Amino acid sequence: MTGGSQYVVAAYAVIWFLVLAYIVMLGARSARVSRQVEAISRLLERKGIAPDDGDDG
Amino acid sequence: MSTATNHPRWTRQLAGLVRKDLRLELRTKETVVAMVLFAVITLTIMQFGFGTRDDDLTRFTGGLMWVTLAFTAVLGVGRSYVAEREQRVLDGLLVSPIPRVVLLAAKAIAIVIYMAIVEVVVIPLVGIFFVKGPYWDSIGWIALVALLANVCIALSGTLFSGLALFTRARDLILPVLFLPALVPVVIAAAGATHAVAAGANDMADYRGYCLFLVAYAILFLLVCVATYDAVFDD
Amino acid sequence: MPSSTTEKTRSGRVPGARAALIWGVIAAVLVTVSTIGVFLVAPEDADQGVIQRIFYFHVAIALVSLVAFAVACVAGIFLLRTRSARWDDVGDVAIRLGLLFSVLVVITGSIWAKASWGTWWVWSDPRLVTYLIVVLIYAAYFVLRSSVDDDRRMRYAAIYAIAGFASVPLSFYSVRVANSFVHPVVFTGSGAAMPGSMLIWFVVSLAAMLALFIALLEVELIGRRAERALRRVALALENT
Repeated sequence: MTGGSQYVVAAYAVIWFLVLAYIVMLGARSARVSRQVEAISRLLERKGIAPDDGDDG
Repeated sequence: MSTATNHPRWTRQLAGLVRKDLRLELRTKETVVAMVLFAVITLTIMQFGFGTRDDDLTRFTGGLMWVTLAFTAVLGVGRSYVAEREQRVLDGLLVSPIPRVVLLAAKAIAIVIYMAIVEVVVIPLVGIFFVKGPYWDSIGWIALVALLANVCIALSGTLFSGLALFTRARDLILPVLFLPALVPVVIAAAGATHAVAAGANDMADYRGYCLFLVAYAILFLLVCVATYDAVFDD
Repeated sequence: MPSSTTEKTRSGRVPGARAALIWGVIAAVLVTVSTIGVFLVAPEDADQGVIQRIFYFHVAIALVSLVAFAVACVAGIFLLRTRSARWDDVGDVAIRLGLLFSVLVVITGSIWAKASWGTWWVWSDPRLVTYLIVVLIYAAYFVLRSSVDDDRRMRYAAIYAIAGFASVPLSFYSVRVANSFVHPVVFTGSGAAMPGSMLIWFVVSLAAMLALFIALLEVELIGRRAERALRRVALALENT
């Protein structure tokens, strides 16, 4: 590549790399939320099957 | 209108609060003495940090002075609420009917005074240590810059030290919050000092930098007045 | 945008979901169009050659990061007035995105400096220096957030967002004053001197980055909403 075009490519690549890294971070956050939702729904299911178990909860 | 005994209420409150801080400091002297020592040590380190023993640092006069004073300011501002925090004075002050803005002004005035004491030592010392050339003629101009910069430091410092007061690791948080906001003050104060020290009498630059410091002080005064109520709102 | 915490979702649709979708589509279209325009349509700069093409997204991102900090400042003012946790989310997310964008400004600016002058960093370029200070100011925002909790965190973060936004123009101006007599300013406001064929693609890039910012903001706000709802559910379960 000539005339410094490698720098233009590098600048553009850095932008998309960091924006995508940010989106991956968003994904990690939402994964945590869904893990907690699953835990809660499991808890509710267990409570639904054995409602008397709920005293210690 | 108002006689000596009939000042508006807030000026009396303000004077009382400032007197309380200064009296406490006079009794212990721990903050100001530590600040002065810190500043002198920093100045000494500068010579060896920037070059060999023979190097002439005259052209860094403004920078040396204001980097030292900025770090000293962080130290002093961090101590400014210590009495309130350690002795539970703050709870009493916050319950009392004193407006929060008066509390802010009292703290800011105390910081201005502490910084002025440090500068009485630092400004001549910079001249003795580093400047090869005329310096003492322009000392009045440098004192004026110092006064303006002190007001800037005090206003932003009071706000940020109020924020850092109840955080975990507050000794670490304060410099991280405060120093980026101090960068414009250091740039302007160092630039103004540079413009008048060591024979360079560039009054146009000097005036520009001083006006900038005034603008900084006004802007932070507005921010402080607008937000200070919320800092101690619990 | 934020509304009351107890807002019911009548049709089962999350508020903001539609906005996120619309802005996402707009951002996708505009980013595509601006990429094509910047690299294939816009004329080559006479002085700088191909390097000048960095300008389009570099400056667009810089302006959008300032918009993000302004949004955070306004959100801070609203938080102090209403004490609604929603505004805390808006401020937090806006500064997160603004910080991402200003880090990108510093990195792409540094690459541009390398391409133009052969060094990765020039202290005489006021834009690079200012954005470095801006990054430091707003990185401290997260340090502050992580060391206080709950109600205090919201208030302190809001106050810092306001004070930080006050220091941004001060940093801009002080860096420029300092350089005006040491060095000539290297980049002047290139916007006005640009020919129309370049200006159009700059405006499209700016719109693309703005849409990207709004889309990411909306997406993150939906996530925050979910987290808040989840916390309420967990609290309710603990109390049963």
